[in-house]
Amino acid sequence: MKFLVVDDSSTMRRILINTLNKLGYQDVVEASNGREGIDRLAVNQVDVIITDWNMPEMTGIEFIRNVRAAEKTTKVPVLMVTTNAAKDDIVEALRAGVTNYVVKPFTPDTMKEKIEAVLAG
Amino acid sequence: MREAYKKAVDLLIESAREVFEMMVMRQLQNGTPIEGDALRPRSNVVGTVSFAGSESGVVVFYSTTEAAKEIAGAMLGMPAAEVNGEMPDAIGEITNMIAGALRTKMTDSGHSWAISIPTVTIGSDFYTKYVSNVQRILCPFRMDEQEICVELIMMKN
Repeated sequence: MKFLVVDDSSTMRRILINTLNKLGYQDVVEASNGREGIDRLAVNQVDVIITDWNMPEMTGIEFIRNVRAAEKTTKVPVLMVTTNAAKDDIVEALRAGVTNYVVKPFTPDTMKEKIEAVLAG
Repeated sequence: MREAYKKAVDLLIESAREVFEMMVMRQLQNGTPIEGDALRPRSNVVGTVSFAGSESGVVVFYSTTEAAKEIAGAMLGMPAAEVNGEMPDAIGEITNMIAGALRTKMTDSGHSWAISIPTVTIGSDFYTKYVSNVQRILCPFRMDEQEICVELIMMKN
């Protein structure tokens, strides 16, 4: 199982990767914004994407729209991890094609549950 | 305006406690908030996030270098003594999450805010000045043996 973690914060990427490692998932690629995320997807077969919303170069929403538009990645589950938690934000993310949503701050248990929910389809 | 400010202060304290409990795994002990332009706490690390919309202002996070490394270490699962280059980004993320949580709570109460990306300033000989037409309140907390502070600065309409 290969994950792609996209976040402009190196701290948040590390927290997410640590959580994935603790769950037994070691195969993780990173990107610091949506545009880098697109580049990573071009050369990696990824099973799950975890992405932030507010990023430079390309936002998480734009990134997800690109992911959904590409045949190779249109069905890949996407978990969005963000501070944007207003109802309108969540609706916008779901319309863009997000599979599930985690609001920062989060407990390790919450992240674990969301990842498992995304993997269970 | 005064009502929005008072609500924001209470929600800021709540947001800071939640962020620390979930992401730093630390319980913050509330101190007594200090209103006005009092002397700012001694700190070498300052994170700021601005907000604008129905109200405008800044959320500021203050800590010493030592406390900041403790926070970064706790978030990253490493000893504080080993934290170095990771610290500024960690504090930026903490400030971002506190401001983001506050924004969500204010939105749920009918206010509409957008927030900026965080800025982190590190050093020992600086001060920050804001325009004079603001209300400001400093909320101190104890994190184990360390003191950290979160400040709300809001434009008066």
